Amino acid sequence: MCEIESQLIAEAKAGNKEAFSELVEKYQRPVFSVCYRMLGTPTAAEDASQEAFIRAYQALDRYDPERSFATWILSIASNYSIDQLRKKKVTILSMDSDKHAWLAPPDPGPSPEKVALNKEKNALVQAILADLTETDRAAVVLQYWHDYSYEEIAETLDLSSSAVKSRLFRARKLMAEKWQEMQLISAPNVNSAAKRITHETSTI
Amino acid sequence: MDEELNQEQQRDLHGHLKQCSQCQALYQASHQITHLFKTAPEPAPAVGFSTRWLGQIDRVEKRKNRIILFSTLGTISLATLILLSTIGFELRSVVGNFPQMMYELVTLITNWMVFFNQISDIITPLFRVGAKLLSPVWLYITVFGLSGITASWTIAFYRSRGMQKEIG
Repeated sequence: MCEIESQLIAEAKAGNKEAFSELVEKYQRPVFSVCYRMLGTPTAAEDASQEAFIRAYQALDRYDPERSFATWILSIASNYSIDQLRKKKVTILSMDSDKHAWLAPPDPGPSPEKVALNKEKNALVQAILADLTETDRAAVVLQYWHDYSYEEIAETLDLSSSAVKSRLFRARKLMAEKWQEMQLISAPNVNSAAKRITHETSTI
Repeated sequence: MDEELNQEQQRDLHGHLKQCSQCQALYQASHQITHLFKTAPEPAPAVGFSTRWLGQIDRVEKRKNRIILFSTLGTISLATLILLSTIGFELRSVVGNFPQMMYELVTLITNWMVFFNQISDIITPLFRVGAKLLSPVWLYITVFGLSGITASWTIAFYRSRGMQKEIG
């Protein structure tokens, strides 16, 4: 952890909200990303990531400086998202949903084609994740998008490393089967994005 | 998945995949998913996320302070209610025994009156006998004599105090 970050944490512990808001600024993207991949809608992701930062601020006294702040905050975000999924049974948006809008565009000024492709890709991602259990989904999100090791996932989700391995194995199998199913169904947006992915992977 | 296997296991896996079309399809699907995940754009929150967070935390803290205030007031009110109920209960027991208390008070006063009457009954005849036995002259001499003795003792006392002050 860098010195500035330690300083900001120390100031935030003393009650300086402005100092913590700088940490919010720094980690908003990974936290939002985890919440979005877990919950599937920008609104739910916004609420969950705001809540995760509030919880982190309130629990700052319990934060162990030996641990990475990024790991700690992502752990709060993923566990909060798991709880939300369990409580409210948040439904991941289907691929055909028109409400799949961004809170912020991922790339300023992309071409309409790229915007459409990005939308399709994200719809595909969410559709693939939708069938996983909350904990399996969190493990997949942390591994694929945040490059967490088995040990880090285990620590974050309070599981054993072997449990993480078996959960990820099961999740990969389920996702692969879902992908195969999706390639067979006739939804036009699915086919275009899926075909593109298939083409891209075949050329790699 | 490949990274978790050693060279020999990888060789075995690829050997199996060449023969098994079902596993081959799953393996390809898994690779395609990894590619999709890696190329999907990273979602980002709208601009002003940290400013919104500051607003949120202010609201949360205000709500928390209100909860603390109301729970404190609630606790104080409850404690007051318990105290008043206890006092009320005690008062009720006193009020409940009021006739008994009044009876005891009247008895006490009556007993004292009886006691003074009896003392009076003893002393009054003595005075009467004394008055009859002694002539009024002796009565006056006794009264004036006692008054004179009292006055002389009082004067002597004040004089001695004045002398002590002068010596001091």
